[in-house]
Amino acid sequence: MQSTVTAIIEDLSGVIFGKKQQIKLALTCLFSEGHLLIEDLPGMGKTTLSHALAAVLGLSYQRIQFTSDLLPADILGTNIFNSNEHTFTFHKGPIFSQVVLADEINRAGPKTQSALLEAMEEQQVTVDGKKYSLPASFFVIATQNPLYQSGTYPLPESQLDRFLMRISLGFPPKEAEKRLILNMQKRDYSMLPKRINEQQLAEIQTAISHITISSPVIDYIIELVNYTRNSNAFAASLSPRASMALAKAAKSWAYIDGRDFVMPEDVQAVFASVCQHRLGLHNESGEAQVNDILKAVLVPV
Amino acid sequence: MNIIKNEKVINFSLCFIYACLIIFFIAHLPIVFISVLTILCVWNFYITTTNKSKPNAWLANILAGAALGLMIYSVGMSDTVILFVAMLLLSSIFKLLQAKTKKHYHIITTLTFFSLSAVYLFNQSIVTTLVVSGLYILNFAVLGLLESKHNLKVTSKQSGKLLLLALPLAIFLLLFLPKMPAFWQLPGPKLAKTGLSEQVDPFDIAKLSNSDELVFRATFNKQSPSSPYYWRAIVHDEFNGNAWLTSDFLKYNNLHAQELNADYETKVEYSVIAEPATQKWLYGLSFSTSNTDGVQGNALGLLRKKKYQAKNLQYNVSSVALNQTPLSPRKTKQYTLLTSKNNSKTLTLSENLKQQTKSDREFYNALLQYFVDKKFTYTLTPSPMSGDDTIDQFIFDNQRGFCGHYASAAAYIFRSAGIPARVVSGYLGGELNQSNNTLTVRQYDAHAWVEVYLESEGWQIFDATAVVAPERLNGSLSQNEELNDEFKSNLDFGLVSLSNFAAINWLRLELENLDYQWASWVLGFDDEKQSDFLKSIFGSKNIWLVPLIVLLTAGFCFIGYFVYLNWPKQGSAKLAPMVKEYYQIVSWAEKQKLNISENLTPSQQLQYFAVHLPQVAQSINEFSKLFNQVRYEKKPFTKERKTHAKDLIKLIKTSKQRKL
Repeated sequence: MQSTVTAIIEDLSGVIFGKKQQIKLALTCLFSEGHLLIEDLPGMGKTTLSHALAAVLGLSYQRIQFTSDLLPADILGTNIFNSNEHTFTFHKGPIFSQVVLADEINRAGPKTQSALLEAMEEQQVTVDGKKYSLPASFFVIATQNPLYQSGTYPLPESQLDRFLMRISLGFPPKEAEKRLILNMQKRDYSMLPKRINEQQLAEIQTAISHITISSPVIDYIIELVNYTRNSNAFAASLSPRASMALAKAAKSWAYIDGRDFVMPEDVQAVFASVCQHRLGLHNESGEAQVNDILKAVLVPV
Repeated sequence: MNIIKNEKVINFSLCFIYACLIIFFIAHLPIVFISVLTILCVWNFYITTTNKSKPNAWLANILAGAALGLMIYSVGMSDTVILFVAMLLLSSIFKLLQAKTKKHYHIITTLTFFSLSAVYLFNQSIVTTLVVSGLYILNFAVLGLLESKHNLKVTSKQSGKLLLLALPLAIFLLLFLPKMPAFWQLPGPKLAKTGLSEQVDPFDIAKLSNSDELVFRATFNKQSPSSPYYWRAIVHDEFNGNAWLTSDFLKYNNLHAQELNADYETKVEYSVIAEPATQKWLYGLSFSTSNTDGVQGNALGLLRKKKYQAKNLQYNVSSVALNQTPLSPRKTKQYTLLTSKNNSKTLTLSENLKQQTKSDREFYNALLQYFVDKKFTYTLTPSPMSGDDTIDQFIFDNQRGFCGHYASAAAYIFRSAGIPARVVSGYLGGELNQSNNTLTVRQYDAHAWVEVYLESEGWQIFDATAVVAPERLNGSLSQNEELNDEFKSNLDFGLVSLSNFAAINWLRLELENLDYQWASWVLGFDDEKQSDFLKSIFGSKNIWLVPLIVLLTAGFCFIGYFVYLNWPKQGSAKLAPMVKEYYQIVSWAEKQKLNISENLTPSQQLQYFAVHLPQVAQSINEFSKLFNQVRYEKKPFTKERKTHAKDLIKLIKTSKQRKL
């Protein structure tokens, strides 16, 4: 299974040049059964990454382009009256898919946003008092533009918390950009090989849940979390959900690294992605602040 | 099959141990057998250096059979101790030649402990003890190497520590454990070289080989008497035509020494430490008696051991002048008996001297004068003589010889003149160390002289050597300048042969002094000394305290150790497993002036060390892996992992030293 994971990373690196770290983080998130928020300026490859992810993982895939006039029903689906049978039949919205790409999520209004986030949290959709379950592996990859852009509705902190990770791609290195320009023809994601199926994904997820996390590492996570709680530097502090997310993401990171136990390094690797958005930090300034936390909290030996 | 990491080092070390053992046994095993062992040792060394394959089982078995045959042929079956030692050495070296697995090496190291201990059967001097202890440490180190991944230096240090730890225990046992007699005894090994023998037969000897082996040391209680020192050991009273023998009468009829009413002004008291020897005779000046258990004196004033004993023997002696009571007619007959009258010229000479002189004393002086006038010379390389008239040949043809010649001839002349005479073997002189009033006597001090009974004077020493080579009388042969060159030319190369250099002479005397202390305090610490020692501590009435003290001390040691093991340790006990070890490495790295950054995770920190100290990178990476296993992988901190971690730390610490 390990070789598959490496192959997936290789495949994705062939689409997003020079962003291996971000690719690994995105995979970590999906393996941890968490939802991913990709935040960056337009044109940085957010959509490309999510497309490629869905394609490689071989999951059913829907893309929803969020706009300011998008309504909850447009995502979830609606009951439509069947005039022949005189009944309402439920027409599933695009959310009934394994991978949902919510493009530019912050361009939709709060109502629509919360509909999506609710579905993410509950793994089900309620329409007119009736519940509809979502597929077993259900991922939302949301992309968002930085908040200061016009025509955006920032996601509330409580809802940001629903995303396991927030990553940003950043500008590509010069070499990567050169390659990018050279291969400028339209990319076909369907050409990417399907590396795993649903069952294999489930296996990976089970394996990750069995990865050993020892008490020194847990102590480290708690130290980190407590640091944000006792510090005045942050708008919000990390919740227990955050510490659980941290542990889970660290496990997945260890798995991708080919280990069956978690080391403090894994926690450090995923810490920024898992915690930045939960601390209410902005992307640019946030990175430095998160690194400050890692520097301030000593790794227990 | 276990693959041994340090096989080459292990093999070399064992090979070295056996090479040393071969050197130790050179004097005690036949030279043919020694060369077989040497060849095997060199062969083993060669195939180990060149990584050649070891001989296969067939070849080795055939060779072993052949070597065994050769061993039985050359060593012989008569002396079982030597035979057993030879077998032990042969089998161990053959095993070493074939050793492939860990198990083989385990067997060899075990055998090596026995082989090393066998050295003590022959020699117990302090130098031997030190060398053998060193080899013991090496053998323990090899044992350690078999079980760990250390280098030889680390394991040697460990085994050295181990032996040092055992030292207090050894001292305690030496001082307090009751000295029990051996349950069973092997006949002691027969020593090949000795200066004395049961018979004095000098005439067929072409070259007297000098041995600088120690015979005994004597310490005078007060002022040492003036030289010459004639140390008597054996009296030969029977002449068989060529050689002087000890008659059965003297050999077995050991009358106890009667209390002498001799003048006590000449009385000298001293103690002697005799080196192990298979013969029973001991050494004393003139008429000696001893009050030491295990030593008996006889009517001739000679001392003997009561039992054969192959270890050092210390005994006290008091000596007075020789017996001056008149001889009984039977004794006179015994001491003037000559069974053969072959040496006709000598008989004539004796006749002439007898006629020229009036008294025994005059005869005595005339004979001395005769040796001077005829320009007899002393030599260690006489020409061999044979036939029935060897004394004639010596007196009239050769006129060159060593003590045995002069003693034999003189005693013959005395007897033929009707004057009671006997040949005495023993040692003359010795090397006096003024600082501790100790006289060291070696095999090359061996001497033979005549005791002659002069009418109205009693037994007197007649030593023709005294007039032929007067220098021989005082001091040791090694201190005799005239004979020195000749003496050294046929002495094995040793410290004695270098005594011209003051520093080496000083070193030699110091070593001898040390060896004397060793012999008197450690080897000579017998049950008598032990009880004296214990009495001096506890007083003679409270001797029952000794077992109590021993038991209590042992008990306290065990309880102390138990408490120490279970004592709640402060600080370190709170640390989780491997953390202490990790900090050890960090503090070591700090000493190597590496940056310790608190922000790094342990693995990153170790990685940093590995990058900056490439010579220990491998060990550090291994440690890092172990750390992760225990710390993060929740693998149990087993004893195996613990020792592995400790090993790695040691390796890391020592490798830096090696680089320096």
